[in-house]
Amino acid sequence: MKNNIYTLCYAGILGAVCAFLLTATAQFTYPYKQANASAEKVSNILAILKVPVEADADSRRLIEIFKTNVFEEEKGDLMIYSYRPAGQAGVEAVAFPFSGPGLWGPIKGFLALESDLKTIRGISFYEQEETPGLGGEIGSDWFQSQFAGKSIVNQSGKAGITITKSRDKAGQNQVDAITGATMTCDKVEDMLNNAIKTIVEKQD
Amino acid sequence: MAQNRQSACLPCGKGLCGGKGLLTLKDGAWTNNPLAIQVLGICSALAVTNRLENSLVMGAALIFVCVGSNLFVSLLRKYTPHRIRMIAEVAIIATFVILFDQFLKAFYWDMSKQLGPYVGLIITNCIVMGRAEAFALQNPPVLSIVDGLANGFGYAVILAIIGFFRELLGTGKVMGYTMLDGQWYTPNQLMILAPGAFFALGVIIAIFNWLKGPEVEENK
Repeated sequence: MKNNIYTLCYAGILGAVCAFLLTATAQFTYPYKQANASAEKVSNILAILKVPVEADADSRRLIEIFKTNVFEEEKGDLMIYSYRPAGQAGVEAVAFPFSGPGLWGPIKGFLALESDLKTIRGISFYEQEETPGLGGEIGSDWFQSQFAGKSIVNQSGKAGITITKSRDKAGQNQVDAITGATMTCDKVEDMLNNAIKTIVEKQD
Repeated sequence: MAQNRQSACLPCGKGLCGGKGLLTLKDGAWTNNPLAIQVLGICSALAVTNRLENSLVMGAALIFVCVGSNLFVSLLRKYTPHRIRMIAEVAIIATFVILFDQFLKAFYWDMSKQLGPYVGLIITNCIVMGRAEAFALQNPPVLSIVDGLANGFGYAVILAIIGFFRELLGTGKVMGYTMLDGQWYTPNQLMILAPGAFFALGVIIAIFNWLKGPEVEENK
């Protein structure tokens, strides 16, 4: 009996100490993680909209540039970030967030369209936990840069984009898939098409 | 012989580890190398070694966790009830792993994104648990730290070697700098993929055993 009580006490104290340490660490790192996340989000939107940014801009400067050049607008459940360069009347580009389940965890990113709302200006994934080297390649330049200049509608005007393994990538809405990352590619394709569907619906 | 060990261990001066420091160090990093000889913890070793940088950070993480958990398991070894010792070990290990993970997330955001879930998965790494259970439970704190260092180091070095060759052959780069020119070298994608990791690890285990010779059998 005495033994049991000791064991319980030991477990309780050890658990409490560990929990306290972890809570303290989480509290201490929270502002840094928060700053990382928001600066990254802003710099992602700026990069995807191709807003000119100084190379050495820190997080505060990034947020400042963001506020003067990019306008946020909420249409239903869709956030729209439009880039209106200072001193220019029209909208130069528009970015939309998208998200969905990946292979290991959620994938989140932005899709930017030119002012015609059909041609892709760029794409980026700012949150993903795909397998490093395989699915994780969705974060790489070669994968993302293929999207630029492609269209979110196919030749016959149907909305949607295809991530394909076939050799023929000539289609205006086709991009190359990643070898060894079929699951990730399928999931990315799904979430992009969902996003494109919403964007097209909201345009009408 | 005992004399020899004592003097070999002199750098630490005070005989804190009872003259067994150097032997423990050699055992963990070489004779019983966790990856090359015991073939433990290869899941993470195969997963994150497609780039040298990732391998180095992962190695550092394992050294930190191994030293930290060994130290505390050893400090608490006389007070830990035998029945719940494993749960206690896991709690200590998990605490150190999450500490490292949080640190990466706060200050090395990009690296944290690269490594994804594998830092957290150190909790289930057989090496850490194995050392806590097999060594730290029976040995004093300082010697346990040496053991943690040795094993962590043994893991980290092998990881770095695999990472170096996989990145070099798979992408033609090392730490992101181009080493093998794209003109005459076509990167072999296989090395980046999981099978490439198996080949690399297999070759390293073979070389390790060949270098070590039949000594293993004698020791047993």
